[in-house]
Amino acid sequence: MNVIEIEDLTYSYPGSGEPAIKQLNLKVEKGDFLAIVGNNGCGKSTFCKTLNGLIPHFISGDFEGKVLVDGLDTRQTDVGTLAKKAGYVYQDFENQILRPTVLDDASYACLNYAMTDYEQRGREALKQCGLEGKEKDYIWQLSGGQTHLLALAGALSLQPEVLILDEPIAQLDPVHADRIYAVLRELNEVYHKTIIVIEHHTEYIADFCKHVLLMKDGRIRWMLPVQEALQRVEELQECNIFPPQVTIAAHRLQKGCGPATGRRLPVTVEEGKEFFAPLAQGKRETTVFAKKTDETAVEFQHVSLSYRTVKGDPCIVFRDLNLNIRKGEKVAVVGSNGAGKSTLMKLMVGMLKPDRGDIRYEGKSISYMDRGELSRKVSMVYQNPENMFIRDCVEGDISYAMEVRGIPGYRERTRELLERFRLTDLGQRDGRLLSGGQMRRASLAIGIALNPEILLLDEPTANLDIATRREIRKTLEEMKEVTKTVLIATHDMQLVCEWADRIVVLCHGEVIADGSRDEIFGNREKTREAGIRPPEIFAMGQALDPEAFCYTVEEFLDWFGERGKENTDEEKAD
Amino acid sequence: MKKKLTENILDKISIDFLRNQVLKNAYGNDDTVIAAMDPRMLLVWYLFFGLVPWFADDIPFLLGCFLLVALTTKLARVAGMVLFLFVVGIFSQTGYLLVVTLLFGGDASAIGPLLILTLKVATVSLASVTIFSGLDPDKLADGLMWYGCPERLSFSISYAYRMLPLLMEEFQNILLSYRLRGNPPAHHTFAGKVRYLIYQVKIIMHAFYPLMLNTAKRSRTTVEVLEIRGYRYAATNREVKKIKLSSLKLTNNDLLFLSLSFFWVSVTVLISTLI
Repeated sequence: MNVIEIEDLTYSYPGSGEPAIKQLNLKVEKGDFLAIVGNNGCGKSTFCKTLNGLIPHFISGDFEGKVLVDGLDTRQTDVGTLAKKAGYVYQDFENQILRPTVLDDASYACLNYAMTDYEQRGREALKQCGLEGKEKDYIWQLSGGQTHLLALAGALSLQPEVLILDEPIAQLDPVHADRIYAVLRELNEVYHKTIIVIEHHTEYIADFCKHVLLMKDGRIRWMLPVQEALQRVEELQECNIFPPQVTIAAHRLQKGCGPATGRRLPVTVEEGKEFFAPLAQGKRETTVFAKKTDETAVEFQHVSLSYRTVKGDPCIVFRDLNLNIRKGEKVAVVGSNGAGKSTLMKLMVGMLKPDRGDIRYEGKSISYMDRGELSRKVSMVYQNPENMFIRDCVEGDISYAMEVRGIPGYRERTRELLERFRLTDLGQRDGRLLSGGQMRRASLAIGIALNPEILLLDEPTANLDIATRREIRKTLEEMKEVTKTVLIATHDMQLVCEWADRIVVLCHGEVIADGSRDEIFGNREKTREAGIRPPEIFAMGQALDPEAFCYTVEEFLDWFGERGKENTDEEKAD
Repeated sequence: MKKKLTENILDKISIDFLRNQVLKNAYGNDDTVIAAMDPRMLLVWYLFFGLVPWFADDIPFLLGCFLLVALTTKLARVAGMVLFLFVVGIFSQTGYLLVVTLLFGGDASAIGPLLILTLKVATVSLASVTIFSGLDPDKLADGLMWYGCPERLSFSISYAYRMLPLLMEEFQNILLSYRLRGNPPAHHTFAGKVRYLIYQVKIIMHAFYPLMLNTAKRSRTTVEVLEIRGYRYAATNREVKKIKLSSLKLTNNDLLFLSLSFFWVSVTVLISTLI
């Protein structure tokens, strides 16, 4: 039975000539777990909004064709009735929580639709999302992952047939992301909900979804079972979708001269074990990073910090933190949501003051430095680039700090920065109206405008699709030349592995590990404790050979490919 | 040491602190005696203590009322900042006159009226503090709705409390951007201090534009979610109102509270007639 049927749907937003969705035909079976992929602006979110009736009832525009959700024509049904058929969860999870307490928010929709058992329904939805026991909590007591689950519960409380989620794990660490997908799987398998996710993380698609739908330029390219869909490596990459690393590695191997050309590509580590099995061990190559000076740039001495809470005891972030950042280091600070990464950075720029202990820049205590001195030393780029924009155009934002300090030649330098970050054409636009990647680049330009000795970046790749992440990673790589000491707080392990030469692992405000990537990811106990996970390709390499430390597909191919080549050569010789 | 002290005070009145106090004020005391009471009854109670003191001039009566609302304020566990504002407010309104009169040898004829005025203002303020701070916003909204206030008003009250911390957080972030990138004038001399103050005010005004834009960007999602979750639907449906209000229940505690208040007021009236 089809729960969604779409015939010849064409839609364009009011005032825009080009349709966002063109001639779309689709049937989704009841009980499916469908992933929608496609690059930015291909019409994924627009498409999802046609399913719950926001288009055309709330957002008007030119709507042609027919959309049936569980047998109801969306044009003839009001948003309220459709909400009981198709629930929608936004990517921007924070702003879709409407009520102060958990149970209130979960049952809010049911109350509004005059269901007398609204509280019971809210409780039921919370149970399904694994938030039992949190009913009386206030929403600001929840962690990021729990807030996500609450947003899901809010949509689920009406018990819709279809649940649509827009990038449900974009801002989460792997532990929380797994949790969300585990809940979704249960909803799909136990409660027989049809789940539709817009997702960039193909590893999760491979593990959890049943079908993949590829969209391009407002059209559907194809809809295929996951296994088949992820085989189409080249087509996906063309649309800026990156299949799981295991698949890419296998594909490249096959394309070269690897084993069993024409065999089905693996999409998970499990399948990879079989595929790559013929490849024996390779040579061990350890990457040696340039030795850094031992000069200390900044030092945390016995820092403790707690913040006030609405109720009860203050929350302790750091108890006795000691950390030493040397000059020229590229440090990645990792750890789960709420481990204290952002707080660490806020302490360094003087936004927060430690309760006890001291932070010293080259031996000088931060409490004896004035703003001006500190701003020459250190600069921070926030997690939300919006908060960096205080002028009405990007150019003004970049030049602001230099202008108010009367730095000679600031116009020249602003121009240089605009060029370096490929923003020259966007200089006069308001930063808030740029795309995700452009906003990040602008915020990085603002961050290094004053040429600080230490640059702090809080989650520079969060909330970006994988293609834009790559672009920012490249930008960060290029920035290495012009910045000296850089600290990045991030969940993006690909970034950590490719960029950092030192990794500091925070867990509940304590440094539980500190070292090179081999030292960190080689230590499974610590990575599990901190809730961090190396890139998939690393796990693949480890599964084949515990000696293998490969962090990128290239390194993996270097390691295992050589031997594979020899094998095929031998075969040929035979 | 002196520097430390001023820093400490500045630290205390940071926006973060304000945000925390707002939340604490709204939701931090939901387990008190006052918070557990029926909002309809408390509104009636407030009608008395918020209005009657204006029309009474009798010191024992006013003093009695004052003591009672002081007690309820204590019971409601009102956040520190609100009480501080209350004290500052009272003092700047009439309290300082009272103190000055006392210091400069004013006699009973001068002190009497001032004391009455101070007591009036204090009683009415504390009664308001008890209600608006002791009850959580949602209960207050429900109570108002029962008395026929439109649903939109009651939603606004609870939504404002939901938004306020977000707004303050946003504001704080923008001010921090200015702090990190701006270049405030040196403020060691007096002239410098004045310039610094002007600079601060200017920054706050500048921060307004990004604050509004960022909030608008954020609320785009909220508006759509409200639509999906049936907010508009509920506003026109009587059934929903009935369900919402069915959670309100008068208990023995409420009646006890009302009768104790009534008893106490009668006692003060009795005392004042005896005198």
